[in-house]
Amino acid sequence: MAIQQESLHGDVWLVRADGRLDQSQTPLLETALNQLLDDGRTVLIVDLSQASYINSGGLRCLVSAWRRAKQQDGDVLLCGLNDRLQEVFTMVGFDKVFQIHPTLIAAQRAVKKGK
Amino acid sequence: MGDTLIIPGRYDRIQQACQFVAAGAAQAGLDDTAVFHVELACDEACTNVIEHAYGAEDVGQIRLSWEVQAGRFVITIHDNGRSFDPDEVPVPIPEDVANGTSDFPRVGGLGVHFMRKLMDEVRYQFEDDGNTLVLVKVIE
Repeated sequence: MAIQQESLHGDVWLVRADGRLDQSQTPLLETALNQLLDDGRTVLIVDLSQASYINSGGLRCLVSAWRRAKQQDGDVLLCGLNDRLQEVFTMVGFDKVFQIHPTLIAAQRAVKKGK
Repeated sequence: MGDTLIIPGRYDRIQQACQFVAAGAAQAGLDDTAVFHVELACDEACTNVIEHAYGAEDVGQIRLSWEVQAGRFVITIHDNGRSFDPDEVPVPIPEDVANGTSDFPRVGGLGVHFMRKLMDEVRYQFEDDGNTLVLVKVIE
């Protein structure tokens, strides 16, 4: 699993997570998201277009970050979910918790609109 | 038709367990979506064993076996940890998660919910020699 971070316009940060979001790999993503939130970066877009798998541990990590961001008037948006990931989010109703966008561009537009 | 695998109770060995049951599921004739369901259910089951039955990594082993019984793909997962009742773990309600009134993610509970959603049958047995979980997927 690889995690990449990138600053976008307007103090929005992009986090790309590749590979499997499972119990052994998710801590990398958790560390990256927590570091950004610790630094006061509270609007995060997590690009999952290269993520092939997610389990409950991966969901837990994303919900934790989402909750922290919301407490600081921010948000964690998701984009690029493949059909398998989308199924997992829908199965537990977390598609209603997160803003999920088909592409990074759509997620960026949503952030701009929300400001 | 069937096979058995024993892995140490470590998170970095769960993928091996998932690949083992996924290969069996494909061999048994399950389609790609059902194979994914089996893989995720196995992942959640093994994670629960390490987190709840053993309480940590490297405490004990996990024995997995699969077989085909009368049009059903049956996975049996056994551990020697302490017994725990998965039904006692509350399932997070999305609305409560969204408005901040749920204990999730602190408490968890999604793993059991996944298993019940993904599989056609989920059975637990707690005996002196440990816990046995049986997961069944009907071969359509």
